[in-house]
Amino acid sequence: METASAVEAFERLRRTALRRQRLEAALGLAAFTVLLVVAFQRSQFFGANIGGDPLGRILTFLGRMVPDLQAKSLLLGRQQHGSLAWWYYDLPVWLRAGWQTIEMAILATLAGAAAAMVAGFLCARNLMPYAPVRFAVRRTLEVIRTLPELIVALFLVAAFGVGPLAGVITLSLATFGNLGKLFAEINEEVDPRPLEGLDASGAGFLRKIRFGVMPQVLPNYASYALIRLEGNVAAAAALGIVGAGGIGLHLQRAITYTEFDTYFAILLLIVGMIFVIDIASEQIRHRLIGLKAER
Amino acid sequence: MNPAVYERARAAAPHAMRPAWRSQAIQLGLALAAAAALAAMIGDLGLKADAFISGLGKLGRLARTMIPPSDGGDLGRIVRALAETFAMAFAGTVIAALAALTPGIIGAKTVVSPPLLHFGFRRMLDVFRGVPALVWALIFVSAFGLGPFGGVLALALADIPSLAKLYAEAIENCDERPMEGLRAAGARPLAVLRLGLLPQVAPVMASQTLYFLESNFRHAAVLGIVGAGGIGFELQERIRTYAFDEMAFIVILYVICVAVLDTISQRVRAKLA
Repeated sequence: METASAVEAFERLRRTALRRQRLEAALGLAAFTVLLVVAFQRSQFFGANIGGDPLGRILTFLGRMVPDLQAKSLLLGRQQHGSLAWWYYDLPVWLRAGWQTIEMAILATLAGAAAAMVAGFLCARNLMPYAPVRFAVRRTLEVIRTLPELIVALFLVAAFGVGPLAGVITLSLATFGNLGKLFAEINEEVDPRPLEGLDASGAGFLRKIRFGVMPQVLPNYASYALIRLEGNVAAAAALGIVGAGGIGLHLQRAITYTEFDTYFAILLLIVGMIFVIDIASEQIRHRLIGLKAER
Repeated sequence: MNPAVYERARAAAPHAMRPAWRSQAIQLGLALAAAAALAAMIGDLGLKADAFISGLGKLGRLARTMIPPSDGGDLGRIVRALAETFAMAFAGTVIAALAALTPGIIGAKTVVSPPLLHFGFRRMLDVFRGVPALVWALIFVSAFGLGPFGGVLALALADIPSLAKLYAEAIENCDERPMEGLRAAGARPLAVLRLGLLPQVAPVMASQTLYFLESNFRHAAVLGIVGAGGIGFELQERIRTYAFDEMAFIVILYVICVAVLDTISQRVRAKLA
């Protein structure tokens, strides 16, 4: 008797749990569907202005991006229609702009990392004893991280004029916001014993940072800065679109003249550039981590 | 250590107390080379201190016109643009998630075992991971006209490689044993996937997709600059006409929206994990 009622109670419990689970799943699905429908409707994904056949349009369009290369004239000069040199007709100019993009990224990463180092010490719990300073620095970094880079770039182009200066400042700011937080996290994880030793021997704040913190954190700093450099190259390539210098300008120009195959050529160039930077930075980072492990 | 002891130690072992001149010279040389490279880059980009200083002055003047922020008398339009931005982000994320499923499964080491094939496929994803959404948006807007359609496509395309990589990693990292158990119990391949694999990877994948929704909301906000609609378009218009008080208003509203979306998404992700 007792077991029967226990089984019955279990069955009842199971039924209600199952019913609730199903209800939750159904509600979730319904909410998701509504959101999806509204999202597609609001973003006019199947709107009339693109002819109502999005997939077909995408495919035709992708076809227009592919250059009209011909096998027999592939290696001829740039005057010859269908050769590689004809496709990449402005390669020296693009390479130069691409190099400028990399330069912008390097300078911005350095400037941003230097500022982030200071901020990282100012908002690390174990190094900065005054809570209001930590709070102010942390909030500032947060707000900077939320602002979209392109919007900041547009605003800075209005102030500093068209050119790489606005781009470098934008990227420095973004790097500052991003690395400041990461550096603070690294600082909070340092081994406290060297710091205690320095305290005991009467070292001041700067000496403590120089001899107690720096040797522990520098490899990690460098590793994060390099990751950020990879992102900054991609971001710098995009910034040119709003007039902040670099190769984005040429992307913009190719679009203005509806040279879709040229756009594709420059796009491939950017992708290759980012790829090379990624690999180089990965090599250096692995070496840095190896160095740290040896100690 | 008192100075006399120090002097005596130095006299006894001059080399031990001084850094080797060779390593000092190398360090100095490296520092000089780095400084020269930096100077060359600054010169090559044409960055000038006086341009920076005069720009700062102008920035200060522009910043003063931002206060007080004003909605420019058309709050409804701004809110609609924000909603459109979210719609773009949502639609783009859903499309990317669906489209990334197949490459994600193919990219998993446990599914496609030939290392060369796997390596090649993953590298291909890596190559396209670097392209920012804006670069895609620029071309889609010119192909499909102004409006959010190009923005949705751009967001989806920019996310597919990254999502596919994360999905592949989720599939690689899952525990094989439940699937073995199912197979041993005589389950069909589809049932093995449904009951052995899906319960393990679905929460991870959902959480990663939500994370992408958050970041897409940020990306969607800038796509308007190249004409892909949403709040970016409104912002760009305000900046072009030097209406910085309205720009400040939109930016503040936008930052609040980002914070709200992030909080909701973080809650849901915490529940999933």
